[in-house]
Amino acid sequence: MNQIIDISNWQLLLGLLFILLAQVSSFVFHLGLNRDIAIGTLRTFAQLFLMGFVLTYILQSDRALLVVGVFLVMVVSAIFIIKGRVAEKQVSYLLPTFLTMLVSYFATAMFVSGLIIGSSPWWEPRYFLPAGGMVIGNSMSALAISLERFFRDLRQQRDQIEMQLSLGAGYREASAEIFRNAVRAGMIPSINAMMGVGLVFIPGMMSGQILAGIDPMIAIRYQIVVMLMLVGATTLSSVTIMLLIRKRCFGSGEELLLTSS
Amino acid sequence: MTEPILEIQDLSFSYEAGGGEIFSHLNLRVEEGEFLLVKGPSGMGKSTLLRLICRLQQPRTGIIRYQGREITLIAPSVLRSSISFVAQIPKMTDASVRDNLLLPFSFAVNKAKTAPSDESLELMLRNFYLESVSLSQSAMKLSIGQMQRLAIMRAILLNPDILLLDEPTSALDPESAGMVFSLIERLNIDEGKTLITVTHSDYAPKLPRAAIYRLHERTLHREER
Repeated sequence: MNQIIDISNWQLLLGLLFILLAQVSSFVFHLGLNRDIAIGTLRTFAQLFLMGFVLTYILQSDRALLVVGVFLVMVVSAIFIIKGRVAEKQVSYLLPTFLTMLVSYFATAMFVSGLIIGSSPWWEPRYFLPAGGMVIGNSMSALAISLERFFRDLRQQRDQIEMQLSLGAGYREASAEIFRNAVRAGMIPSINAMMGVGLVFIPGMMSGQILAGIDPMIAIRYQIVVMLMLVGATTLSSVTIMLLIRKRCFGSGEELLLTSS
Repeated sequence: MTEPILEIQDLSFSYEAGGGEIFSHLNLRVEEGEFLLVKGPSGMGKSTLLRLICRLQQPRTGIIRYQGREITLIAPSVLRSSISFVAQIPKMTDASVRDNLLLPFSFAVNKAKTAPSDESLELMLRNFYLESVSLSQSAMKLSIGQMQRLAIMRAILLNPDILLLDEPTSALDPESAGMVFSLIERLNIDEGKTLITVTHSDYAPKLPRAAIYRLHERTLHREER
């Protein structure tokens, strides 16, 4: 009963019918999405097959450096995705964002894999990499939301900030509300996910484990850890990054450097 | 010769490094209790001059001293609670008149200063020609002229040594403009406040300690009265 059913190549291609449906809809209703759907489909196949080969190799490996290397590649990819979503030219935010992501996600994945799950060694790839991957994937979106909102609000509320600075406010005081709103905007999706999980949706990892024949009572424990981990990682990374980036938005006289252009 | 309250030496400024200069080798000396009026057409950098004095912008070269100390050596929040800048378009937060007036007292640098009581705020509102305004009403519903006077009042509550006013009447009708000018003249005469006002209007103060400067060819020229 617990035998996993393999998906053959032909069955996999059958899944392309979903893409055909999307392509036809885009064509008929002039959605302009045909190119993106095609590229997205190709990338899904290519990237996941590549990951499959890499994981097959890494899961059999016993080299910590290799596991950490894969983790590093994942964070570097995430920073490029954030760069594509946050169009900010005046303040250089990429390096502090990258370093914070690297340290905070690594610490979170290490904590979950080594301490909560208790794998030995802590970098055991079948625990460490999925944990790291989920943290990076979810938190990356949160960071992009926070950063985008922070830069936008600072520009839009420039006059309000300068009014407060002119009356003796420090840069932290003058940007306190914008800071709060930006961090909140990034954290809310992961908190909302905790509200709906198990009721509105069955999360991907849990579904995967159940499909693989794992006892649902074990699968939910993993899922609970994942949900908690995502809130923690999002908080840690977004608060740290916003603190670092906020400092860069103000000059030596605590003047706002972002202009409205 | 006494030490000036504010001194600018050899100031140069351009918006971008290597770009066209707004000021070049500008010098200025302001004595305590003076009323300085800086005139010149729009777009010449009059507002920028005020923003440089309170460090909302940084000069390329040159030195600005407040009470003999370079302003770059003073914590920005300390400097700005001593040299208050009121912007051309007055800004209020979406709160009551009272909350707006007391906003500066919520900042760490002003915590030692005593926030005024409702009675003294109401008295000040009358002195600022705002007798029809109540402390509990929303500041966002005031006219631009009322907001301008409220913004000046809010800056004055901190008892700054120097008040910088950027085109305080540019958005006002003649009656409101007259009120603002009469108000700032009184601040200078009655309280001995040092004021630096920039304007492109024809206003000519009749004050014993008034000095008029014109911004021309990237530097200031004193006008004879």
